[in-house]
Amino acid sequence: MSNAWSIYIIVLAVGNILAMVWLLIITNRDNGVDASDTTGHKWDGIEELNNPLPRWWLGLFIITIIFAGVYLYLYPGLGSYKGSLNWSQMSEYRQARDANEEIQAEFFAEFVSYDIPALAKSERAMATGERLFANNCTTCHGSGGRGAKGFPNLTDNDWLYGNQPETILASIENGRAGVMPNLNLNSATVAVLARYLKHLSGEDGISDHVIDSGPKRFAVCAACHGADGKGNQAIGAPNLTDGIWLHGGRVSDIENVLRHGMQGNMPSFANALNSNEIRLLAAYVISLSSSNMADGSNTADGSNTADGSNTTEDE
Amino acid sequence: MKHETIEKNAGLMGVLIALVIAVAGMAEIVPLMFQAQTTEPSPGVIPYPAVELAGRDIYVKEGCYNCHSQMIRPFAVERLRYGPPSLAGESVYDRPHQWGSKRTGPDLARVGGRYTDEWHLIHLINPRDLVPESNMPGFPWLQDKEVDGELITTKMKTLKWMGHPYTDEQIEQASDTVHGVTEMEALIAYLQFLGVANNGRSQK
Repeated sequence: MSNAWSIYIIVLAVGNILAMVWLLIITNRDNGVDASDTTGHKWDGIEELNNPLPRWWLGLFIITIIFAGVYLYLYPGLGSYKGSLNWSQMSEYRQARDANEEIQAEFFAEFVSYDIPALAKSERAMATGERLFANNCTTCHGSGGRGAKGFPNLTDNDWLYGNQPETILASIENGRAGVMPNLNLNSATVAVLARYLKHLSGEDGISDHVIDSGPKRFAVCAACHGADGKGNQAIGAPNLTDGIWLHGGRVSDIENVLRHGMQGNMPSFANALNSNEIRLLAAYVISLSSSNMADGSNTADGSNTADGSNTTEDE
Repeated sequence: MKHETIEKNAGLMGVLIALVIAVAGMAEIVPLMFQAQTTEPSPGVIPYPAVELAGRDIYVKEGCYNCHSQMIRPFAVERLRYGPPSLAGESVYDRPHQWGSKRTGPDLARVGGRYTDEWHLIHLINPRDLVPESNMPGFPWLQDKEVDGELITTKMKTLKWMGHPYTDEQIEQASDTVHGVTEMEALIAYLQFLGVANNGRSQK
């Protein structure tokens, strides 16, 4: 702030306070209530007394003036004067932020030796993971992680890109861009393929014509989804045989995807989250689907025993 | 000055009242109009391109500010949820700013890039398709209307006159750029533009 503006503000602020003091002094009277002293106002013979300010009111007035003086001495307010406490909103924010980061660092230090599957088993880590998930993931994947049409369900143990810790980490950190191209299929092909896919996923009552001519038409899909339609996690091509339909399971939904193609994008969280948080989230995502398995046998492999025992202690 | 003089001259009384009321504003607001901190853009902040500018008008028109603020306050908890605090220099091209103070919905100051375009589209048509708990209204009609290119050109000219550094080329192409763009697309472009210059949590 330039000097001129600083002086401008000081003159206004101090001048204003001095004006209040001046007002108090010139209106100061000790004469109490004096029936002969009126303001000169007269309505229908009723006169307005010119009484002094009540004492308690005057006291409050003086206290506010003293308060203003003390405040302006301690805190920034007079132009570029920083106040004797050297307080600023930004410095208070930075302190709180750093304190928060310290708590986080302490928390994450506890789990530094854990690999992701071990993290997924730690109750304490997952309690925080749940919060992170609620804040960053639920708007697309749902508050229970069950997804929505077009946004994958994370609890069903059906994986577009695989459930290895590294692939989940990569999904969160870099985002994903899944592309099903528009293949310009004619409507006969679209109709047959949609029903053939229902057949592949185990639906009964599909006509023989579809089942007979389906495989030939499916050849164009096999490039990504595999000859058996079980998908390809390396490129995020969904398994078409498991009865889980990301973009809707009605024949009309499937036809719509076949006709127009489809894109499935997940944004990158590399800027919004640090690597500790991303690791924790990856573990939480794994825990979502493992806790969903009745026998719990589906926990991702690769946890070494040392870390595993760590987790037990922790719990 | 006597009571009577002031009370019997409405004009004089008006001037004096205005003076008393203006003191705080003169000390607290007027200097800000001349501080670089509030008049210079923060690093990376540029004026809204044509489509985003059109989207901004739709944001205002639909009253999004009634439920969404665009100001992250300088608190550690806000940073955890929304990113680093908003700076005055990030609002220099907002006329008027959309800071707001009511958060029925989340703050949107740094929402750019947080969701995909498809998410915004589905969410704006019917938020409950994606967030069953949401009480935000749907805005499906935004898909039915296209942005007016001529109006955007005029707005950009006006903003340039007010000091926004648009190039002549940008203004010339504005009408073509927004040609055929629906209000929905413009609004999504605007939302994806919000705070992108500085929306990483790692930034201090």
